[in-house]
Amino acid sequence: MPEDHPVPGPADPAIRVVELRKTFVVPEREAGLKHAIRSLVRRRTRQVNAVDGISFDIAPGEVVGFLGPNGAGKTTTLKMLAGLLYPTGGGLTVLGATPSRREKDFLSRITLVMGNRNQLEWDIPAADSFELNRAIYRIPPQAFAETRDELVELLEVGDLVRKPVRNLSLGERMKVEIVGSLLHRPQVLFLDEPTIGLDVTMQKRIRAFVAEYNRRYGATVLLTSHYMADVVALCKRVIVIHHGRILFDGGLSGLSSRFAAYKTIGVTLDDPTIDLGAYGEVIHRDDQKITLRVPKLETSRITARLLSEQAVADLTIEDPPIEDVIETVFASGEDDERLPEREKVSE
Amino acid sequence: MSAVVERSGRPAAPGLPDRPRVGRVRSMVDLYLTEMRTAIAVQFQYRVANYFYMIGMVAEPVIYLVVWSSVARSQGGAVGGYTPGEFAAYYIVWTLVRNINIVFTPYGWEWRIQKGQLSGQLLRPIHPIHYDLGYFAGMKFVVLVLWLPIAAILSLAFHPTLQPSGLGIGVFFVALWGAYLIRSLNMWVLGMITFWTTRVSAIFELYMALELIFSGRLVPLTLLPGWAQGVANFLPFQWTFGFPINALVGKLSTTQLLEGLGMQALWIGIGATIIHFVWRAGIRRFSSVGN
Amino acid sequence: MDRADPIAGRPTRGIRAAARLWWVFFRVGAMNELQYRVNFFLELFQSLVALATGLIALALVFQHTSSLAGWSKPELLAVMGVHVMMGGIIQTLVQPNMDRLAREVQQGTLDYALTKPRDSQLVISVREVRIWQTVNVLMGLIVLGWAVTQLQRGIGVVQALAFAGALVLGAVMIYCFWLVISTGAFWIVRMEEISELFQGVYQAGRWPVTVYPAGLRASLTFLVPVAFAVTVPAQALTHRLTERTLLVAFVFAAALFAFTRWFWRVGLRHYSGASA
Repeated sequence: MPEDHPVPGPADPAIRVVELRKTFVVPEREAGLKHAIRSLVRRRTRQVNAVDGISFDIAPGEVVGFLGPNGAGKTTTLKMLAGLLYPTGGGLTVLGATPSRREKDFLSRITLVMGNRNQLEWDIPAADSFELNRAIYRIPPQAFAETRDELVELLEVGDLVRKPVRNLSLGERMKVEIVGSLLHRPQVLFLDEPTIGLDVTMQKRIRAFVAEYNRRYGATVLLTSHYMADVVALCKRVIVIHHGRILFDGGLSGLSSRFAAYKTIGVTLDDPTIDLGAYGEVIHRDDQKITLRVPKLETSRITARLLSEQAVADLTIEDPPIEDVIETVFASGEDDERLPEREKVSE
Repeated sequence: MSAVVERSGRPAAPGLPDRPRVGRVRSMVDLYLTEMRTAIAVQFQYRVANYFYMIGMVAEPVIYLVVWSSVARSQGGAVGGYTPGEFAAYYIVWTLVRNINIVFTPYGWEWRIQKGQLSGQLLRPIHPIHYDLGYFAGMKFVVLVLWLPIAAILSLAFHPTLQPSGLGIGVFFVALWGAYLIRSLNMWVLGMITFWTTRVSAIFELYMALELIFSGRLVPLTLLPGWAQGVANFLPFQWTFGFPINALVGKLSTTQLLEGLGMQALWIGIGATIIHFVWRAGIRRFSSVGN
Repeated sequence: MDRADPIAGRPTRGIRAAARLWWVFFRVGAMNELQYRVNFFLELFQSLVALATGLIALALVFQHTSSLAGWSKPELLAVMGVHVMMGGIIQTLVQPNMDRLAREVQQGTLDYALTKPRDSQLVISVREVRIWQTVNVLMGLIVLGWAVTQLQRGIGVVQALAFAGALVLGAVMIYCFWLVISTGAFWIVRMEEISELFQGVYQAGRWPVTVYPAGLRASLTFLVPVAFAVTVPAQALTHRLTERTLLVAFVFAAALFAFTRWFWRVGLRHYSGASA
């Protein structure tokens, strides 16, 4: 039934995930020496469904933000996509390959950058580690030099590549780390918290770089981040995951319209001293502008009232900041009663 | 820059092999040379630490040497066919063989998995064993430079008697790398046990103890009782210690020298085969459990 | 069991406070180790194998000679017993802490330990414990007991006390030696190889240091105090120990401890973290 599926485009999706699941068995133990000794004999384990049946397609060249609180299953999913974890169930293809087979051709086309992991040799300059990657990925010397110089220039890494990695700051290390991860010009980038712990300037630099890389090479990017600014700047589409399930998959604006329970109305009055408390919650006011928070469904009614009852010089209706929306999403996920029993205790 | 843009301007086509790669054999040689260069760069920075390591290592044969020279002298000059001078030669060559023998240990595996290094290596299109083989081979060049003065001091202190044959010298240099390979492969097999149990150190220590006795590391194998020498013939250990040492110290016939190389090749083959199968199972396990 | 929190709210000086801190870490370390139950049996097995190796080496030597540098076979067995026992003590309490110190200095993560409101030398000395290694202490005691029954001259109270005293002094000296070298990690970044260095040199203690040529013997006494840790206690059991030697051991241990404390402080001042 073709109606049930998206119409296949001219190219197959770069990433296709169907009902993907991953279950871990973790030992369970109470604190204390007594329990430690007891666990020598009997060991309690627990099943955790880290990823619990998720499906999505990502088209070539798309940049998708992967959002969720800690422990939502983001990293587990990324690791399955990169072929590091074997799925418990469901289907998964990246660039037409099955990641867990870890075919050389597949591995040569992807990269996984983790913000808190270090892949470059610690004790030698990054430039020497780059040489190692050249050999590993079998990159012809000419192409290697071109890509390296280009990446070095784009990220403004410059002389840093000649210092031992251990002497670099966190942000500098991340930049050379990214250069090293992209020397083989992967077509799919998995970025797990690439800006974690970095200052705002460095975050912006890396953001701009990812956007540029995507534009130049048409690479597909799947990005997780705690910083909404990363997501807003880079991703037209977001996938929100919570408790191993997808809560939302669509445009950033759609996220707001679906999950935001409120809108904000900015009003500029001829007489700024008038109290608008009767229309909604005043969340901000300055010399001219008053910002009101109103329930989403009431927005048009309140706007109409404002316009008819007050001398309004200017009026804007806005969605709340994306951070607030995300918070609402996760909070609603917590109480979502449709979520099935996730954990089973076994001995 | 324009060339790059032009080349990359075409849209990404998933699943199509579209870019040139360096040839297989050439790229392998390249990988090993680059790994070796990296190792030399890293290890040279740590020459002080490396010296500590070597002094600790040299203590072991010196102890054996002192004890057995003392025994030989008290027995009128020789024990088991070894004079103090020959013991000195045996244990000084021992230090070189031991240095060549040092490879990535199972302890490193634990670290490698915990720190996510293995994950990083799995993301790359090359079997991780090549990193270790290349890296540790490169390290040997630094070790060799550091070893020379130690060997000189030991020789001045203990007066070795060394009369190697031409063939012996040739076989020695081949056998050194044979020993390196056998031990690397064995340690890899042990290290991969980490996929199933988090602390493999006890098994590793057991291996080391068996190796100590049956390899010629503790004493030349001819000093062992006959039955123990028989057991040693069925184990890989002597091909990583006793054989290369004896090749240079000059206790082996031409036939024994060549047979020894053959035995080394056999054990390399066995090690490689085991790794092939255990690695597959191990990775399957690793990727279902995570880290 | 003492349920009061031993870290917070009490005066942080003195031996009792130190002992309490040690006990807290010991408990955590023990619980951690207990998770790996297989390792107990493997450790036991491994300890037996190591013992067998030592006995084999001894047997090989005595296959060809009847005494080594004036020590008979049961006397050398006693030396071996002390060696194994002391090795067990070191591996249970000292080595794991020193390994961790060297590692943390290299990775620049030592700061966590230094921010604790306790004596820094104490903290870095008690954080780790490998309880399964105590198997070696037991094993050493068994060998020692076995050797003592074979000795021609028995052991009186004096010998036993001298033995215990020499053992404690030896352990203190080994700890100091190791900490001094580890403190060197503040200047020389990578010091993980110290373990290898020590393990190698410690093996020399398997034989009485009188076996070795004069230069080596001096190094094994004052440079790496293996002689004090193994040979001197063994001398106490075999009626070789003089009061003078014991006094030298005491003075040397005290001086070394004072030096270690001073050197650790100097090292700390120099420490700036690996990422700086």
